[in-house]
Amino acid sequence: MGKELLKTEGGDTLLLLGNEAIVRGTLEGGVRFVTCYPGTPSSEAPDTFFRLSQGAPYYFEYSVNEKVALEVAGGATLAGLPSLCTMKHVGVNVAADPLMTLAYVSAPGGLVLLSADDPGCHSSQNEQDNRIYARLGGLPCFEPATAQECKDMARDAMLLSRKLETPVLLRTTTRVNHVRGPVVTGDLPATPYEKPFVKDPAKYVPLPASARVMHKRLRAILDGLVAEADASPYNVESGAGELGFISSGVSRNYLTDVLEEEGLVGKVRLLELGLTYPLPENRIAAFLSACKKVLIVEELEPVLENEIRALAQTRGISVEILGKSEHLPRLGEFSTANVRQAVRAFVGQPAAVVDALTVPGDLPRRPPNLCAGCPHRAAYYAVREVYGDNAVYSSDIGCYTLGFLPPFRAADFLLCMGSSISTGAGFARASGKPVVAFIGDSTFFHSGITGLIDAVAYKHDVLIVILDNRTTAMTGHQPNPGVDTTIFGENPNPVDLMALIRACGVEPVKVNPLNHKATLAALTELSKQTGPRVLVAEYPCPIHARRVGQAKKTLPARVAGDPAACLTVRDNLACPAFAMVDGQFTINAEQCDGCMFCVQLSPDLKPGKKEAK
Amino acid sequence: MTRARIFFTGVGGQGTLTATTLLARTALDAGLPVTSGEIHGMAQRGGVVESTLLVGGYKSAIIAPGEADVILGFELLETLRALPMLRRGGFVVGNSEALQPVGVCLGRECYPPLEAVLETAKGFAAQVVLAPCISLAEQAGTAKAANTVLLGAAAACGALPFSVADLTRSIEKYLKPKLVDVNLKALALGAEAAKAGQAA
Ligand SMILES: Cc1ncc(C[n+]2csc(CCOP(=O)(O)OP(=O)(O)O)c2C)c(N)n1
Ligand code: SF4
Repeated sequence: MGKELLKTEGGDTLLLLGNEAIVRGTLEGGVRFVTCYPGTPSSEAPDTFFRLSQGAPYYFEYSVNEKVALEVAGGATLAGLPSLCTMKHVGVNVAADPLMTLAYVSAPGGLVLLSADDPGCHSSQNEQDNRIYARLGGLPCFEPATAQECKDMARDAMLLSRKLETPVLLRTTTRVNHVRGPVVTGDLPATPYEKPFVKDPAKYVPLPASARVMHKRLRAILDGLVAEADASPYNVESGAGELGFISSGVSRNYLTDVLEEEGLVGKVRLLELGLTYPLPENRIAAFLSACKKVLIVEELEPVLENEIRALAQTRGISVEILGKSEHLPRLGEFSTANVRQAVRAFVGQPAAVVDALTVPGDLPRRPPNLCAGCPHRAAYYAVREVYGDNAVYSSDIGCYTLGFLPPFRAADFLLCMGSSISTGAGFARASGKPVVAFIGDSTFFHSGITGLIDAVAYKHDVLIVILDNRTTAMTGHQPNPGVDTTIFGENPNPVDLMALIRACGVEPVKVNPLNHKATLAALTELSKQTGPRVLVAEYPCPIHARRVGQAKKTLPARVAGDPAACLTVRDNLACPAFAMVDGQFTINAEQCDGCMFCVQLSPDLKPGKKEAK
Repeated sequence: MTRARIFFTGVGGQGTLTATTLLARTALDAGLPVTSGEIHGMAQRGGVVESTLLVGGYKSAIIAPGEADVILGFELLETLRALPMLRRGGFVVGNSEALQPVGVCLGRECYPPLEAVLETAKGFAAQVVLAPCISLAEQAGTAKAANTVLLGAAAACGALPFSVADLTRSIEKYLKPKLVDVNLKALALGAEAAKAGQAA
């Protein structure tokens, strides 16, 4: 989706991804400053802002991490510009420190924080529920469910934030970020919004005395917002009867479809919530009073459920409240299937029998894999050759986490982004075992560097392998501070990774991991040393290189000698271009990237000949 | 109103999501309410790509087991894996050609035969149509158009709430001009293959 998103007049119906709709919505809300750290399922929002950034009415940056992103956006809203900061759910943990005080300090220009949660862990290390952060940090919270709502709520979150001068949370989940549906656009604002900054340290500097005042001010805003939530068009009631359902976020979709298919529309009461913090307490109380029994349908934590139970108790409403159960678990995603069972159980219908085919459970799997030509594969191969199972491998988050898989099995533990160096250091100190910590370039800038400083300061015995593929590959090849090239050409201000490491107090060794001999020699040498050591394995991700037009034309490798003699390489390298055809080892020329790593491992493998292609 | 739940499955790089979006645009142009879902993430790394298209007023963009009116399988093994999504009396339209997963390439696992799809779906699906989409796309000019071959086959056998003519219009309207001809050819080849398959 391109320039349509920047069109001034509204009224178009566009088919948008949830994340693209959020882009349009915040633009309609007057956004002028956008920061982010990428992460699935949020990435298409910042990536769209980035793609459209040249000549656009906003400033955009891929910040170094989420904390920095929120702080930079925090500065922008203090300076008076409507600001947006986007991240995935776990990113909010990184940004939690500024976040917890941001609402005290306020957001004069308006600030929306997009938190893209991932129930079911489609592409994440956990499935935390960030609606709880809204409560903890005192942020009003919107939960869209459709592409249109992504657009509308993003706009209204920004407008509300501007009006109250307080940050607002736009909380989505994977299925909402990646829904695609029609969106009717509105107009972009005719004049750019700005709230000029006036110095007032008592208002903006949370010293203990002023922080107490700020906290009180924040609570007053949130208490005042209950009336707005009661009247919000995003909190809608329908139906009739003594049986009630309350739902928010994507669960609303499943619930409405199930009620329709079960013939219950109009026969039960339904309260759908879109502005969910603070809760529309009076609206809910009235709803509860009209019902005998209420089922609360929400993914992950019983956030609504607990607050609604408390509300019923406070207001003395006697109603049976049901929520988390076997059919509506705290774990994973919901679907029409489990919501159907929950609804049927609630209204006293027998469980639905699913009429579906079964297939053998042992079908060949299709796990994600490091690509053919991926420099990470070559680096892992060399490290395994030197250390085998004698080292403990501290891993981190990125494409290179796939080194977890055989034959490399180069991941023994992992905590979070940027943890491999520090956790590896702690493990080495406590166990006395050799530790190799792997970390990507983006992850190193994100939060690995602090681990390196710690390792230098305390002489932790850890070999750090920075897998520098010159991009943030895992989440869609976003630029990071170290990259040379972006889709717009050369990076004007790259941060010098080698100089940075040197300045921390380690002399790094740099190799091209696709040069096997050199990498092996460097690793062997480093393995004999102690203390913090850094190997930078630098070679561009082939997908990224193709995208920025820097891929070299190469010929595929081929089996020149005895195919049977190549089986060790097959098993130890497992390049996806390797294949067995009629029991014979061969290289699939379509799949081969031409990286020429495998040919360095066996005399039976050779670079392709010109005429071969 | 026409209501349909369509489940797409394929392998990263096969154009599964492009095909999903093209169908979503076709539905919108036909004035049908539509919502579609995608799971991103591992697509580039050879993993499975699944998406959904729900036409006719569904709110949910997901499909649960036993709910799909149509399975569009861009790869044979993935078609087989997705069969539990099908509702009784639904359509299966798939690519009969394989993209072998790593385990199979390396000789550790066995790729299921074509008959596995046919036999599993027999008596449950209203119709199963399998066409050699990659070969037909190559015939049209590029293997990349295999996704369009499949759409042609699906429309021609009546699995979709759209006709081949509707898809022709969408291809002309929404694809880059230089890709239109080859995709129209691919669409026609898919449609032909489906009709021949039905007759047989
Ligand atoms: C706190 C946090 N933010 C963002 C993410 C999402 N994420 C996963 S991997 C990754 C980027 C990794 O890039 P890099 O370190 O360069 O490794 P590559 O994928 O290029 O190998 C990101 C941003 C996350 N998991 N956690
Ligand atoms: S040259 Fe060898 S290792 Fe590199 S992509 Fe081709 S087959 Fe794989």
